[in-house]
Amino acid sequence: MRVLEDMAKGWLRDRGFPVPPGTAAASPAEARDVAGRLGGKLVVKALVPAGRRGKAGGVVTAKSPEACAESAGGLIGRTIADHQVARVYVEKKIDIAEEFYVGFFAGGERPHLLLSRFGGVEIEGTFENRPDDVVRSELDPRKDLTEWEARELWLQAGVGGPLLRELGELTARLAAAFRNGDMVLLEINPLATDPEGRLNLVGAMMEIDGQALERQPEWKALEDPGAGATATANERELQVDEIDRTVPGGECRYIELDGDIGLLVGGGGAGLYQHDLIVAAGGHPANHCVTPPTGSDSRKLKAVIKAILGNPKTRSLLVGFNFAQMARADIRVQSLVEVIDEMGLDTANFPIVIRMFGAGEAEARALVDGRPGFHYMARGTTLSDAVQRIVTLTNETTEGAAS
Amino acid sequence: MSILVTRSTRILIQGITGGQARSDLKRSLDYGAKVVAGVTPGRGGESVLGVPIYDTVGRAVADHPVDASAIYVPPLMAKSAVLEAIDAGIGLLLLTAEFIPVHDISYIAAATREAGVRLIGANTNGIISPGQSRLGGIGGADPDEIYSPGRIGVCSRSGGMSAEIALALKAAGLGISTCVSMGGDAVTGLGMAEYVELFEQDPDTDAIVLIGEPGTRNEHDVARLVRSGRIGKPIAAMISGLFQERYPKGVSFGHAAAMIADDNDTATAKRRALAEAGVMVTSLLEEIPSLLAERGIAA
Repeated sequence: MRVLEDMAKGWLRDRGFPVPPGTAAASPAEARDVAGRLGGKLVVKALVPAGRRGKAGGVVTAKSPEACAESAGGLIGRTIADHQVARVYVEKKIDIAEEFYVGFFAGGERPHLLLSRFGGVEIEGTFENRPDDVVRSELDPRKDLTEWEARELWLQAGVGGPLLRELGELTARLAAAFRNGDMVLLEINPLATDPEGRLNLVGAMMEIDGQALERQPEWKALEDPGAGATATANERELQVDEIDRTVPGGECRYIELDGDIGLLVGGGGAGLYQHDLIVAAGGHPANHCVTPPTGSDSRKLKAVIKAILGNPKTRSLLVGFNFAQMARADIRVQSLVEVIDEMGLDTANFPIVIRMFGAGEAEARALVDGRPGFHYMARGTTLSDAVQRIVTLTNETTEGAAS
Repeated sequence: MSILVTRSTRILIQGITGGQARSDLKRSLDYGAKVVAGVTPGRGGESVLGVPIYDTVGRAVADHPVDASAIYVPPLMAKSAVLEAIDAGIGLLLLTAEFIPVHDISYIAAATREAGVRLIGANTNGIISPGQSRLGGIGGADPDEIYSPGRIGVCSRSGGMSAEIALALKAAGLGISTCVSMGGDAVTGLGMAEYVELFEQDPDTDAIVLIGEPGTRNEHDVARLVRSGRIGKPIAAMISGLFQERYPKGVSFGHAAAMIADDNDTATAKRRALAEAGVMVTSLLEEIPSLLAERGIAA
């Protein structure tokens, strides 16, 4: 879960980290008020869950509350880095003497940190072109980073002298916050000194592990439906996304593609395999998806089915699952026929191939018996057989419609 | 024989009173697996299907020597359950939970490695040595319909695909020494290359079949291992997820780990690395028996 800058900085500020004063504003008038309270020079930033906003024009400096309101008016409603801007963050501008970078990342075998004495907006270029200016270190997932280990890393990065003690202490505290806060990403860029030599967390990006939200009630409460969705997601994708966030148990996802063969799969290896086989057979999947086990709330499965069948490009459907899944075939087929009936879909010219064996199979077969368009594969046929069948049937339907 | 699990493996189940654990327990007992004890804190002294329950792993292993523990606890409890099993000296762990927080699974992987404990998973449906025993739900209600005993070792990143490859082998008259679903997450305990080494050392495995996906460095590790010359047995591999290369990087189409972050993560890169190392690579499960036959492995 990407945390927007106002929340990330509020969280860090509450824990005693040196964060410049700032507040979110939802309108030019609010931005003017905030600017009046903060005083001095200001920065107005688009609140979108994406990095590198500066390069995308999402960060503007303003010298007065009036200029601040104007900048806010220019940003709110715009699309920046694929996200529509609903609010801005108004922050006191720090006069920057030096810019450092420190980032913490989890998700691989071990968490790691990157640091550099060349922070700021050009950090991507530094990563790419000057790897010697970046220090990378793995973190022991079982231990806190110590201040002296952090000092050693900054020394390797070429930073010594009067700042070293404070940098080491701050980096160790950030590493602990990163782990205790269940973050998969914590990036401070720039970590800047002001002319008096004080360190400030001027840029802060934070992403929380969605799998840990249950033990992070503070973040759980902030969970914002749609925060992770991009402006390019269509209504069907957004609906599945919302059900995934609001209904407990399992996972559902729906990704719409350009083809015409709807794909209802579990989400693991068999889904990838069947998708490959369809493409190899000259077919074009209309979507990919992830559906939960049948022990879960059926609303998730039904949301995905509804999205697939609601896609105007979908002309057929492959329901392909691994042999002898614990999941019950009849529960899946029941959900499928319920959605078909709710939508009033005529399946006479909409071929549906089902390749699902195991528990509840006899009941599942009975549910579709006599319904037009259904092709339940014989027990023992392979995933590849089912793919050939749906590609052939889809081609026949398309040719039939064309003639 | 087999790797990791045999008919004599004495099994503990942590979280034995949960729904999935009970249902897998019944099926495991039916299959002949030696489940000797279970653990659920607060339920010590009770029993389930004749298997005694203990309050701690330490108490269970004091009464019953244990070789392996199948851990069925919710994802946020996984770390504590694994550490408890390590503490009790159990050498083989199977972790079923999906959605374990990333900092926890990193911790778990580091802790098991340091203790010399073998961890299968997380996010796995199990391991089966056909005709002998199994850990986890792999094989479902009727494993014999899918898994025949034999001399092929199988390692798959996808639990469901374990069943599909077993069926393809069975259709060709080939059986399996051990089939392990290693787990589809970005971080797992044992990696694919470590399973390959175990199969190489197993006198009752003649050939190895691997089922891979985009994401992680598992398949590249296997390629490196094979190139090192330490693997003499033939290996056939099927890597899914070619289609993902038609779409932007960073889009996850399935298992959270089955995501292309860089060019090495693609199915194409993995197929190439494996093929260059001498692994037989195919796109179709049903082709695997004929590939094995080319190397003298036949029913």
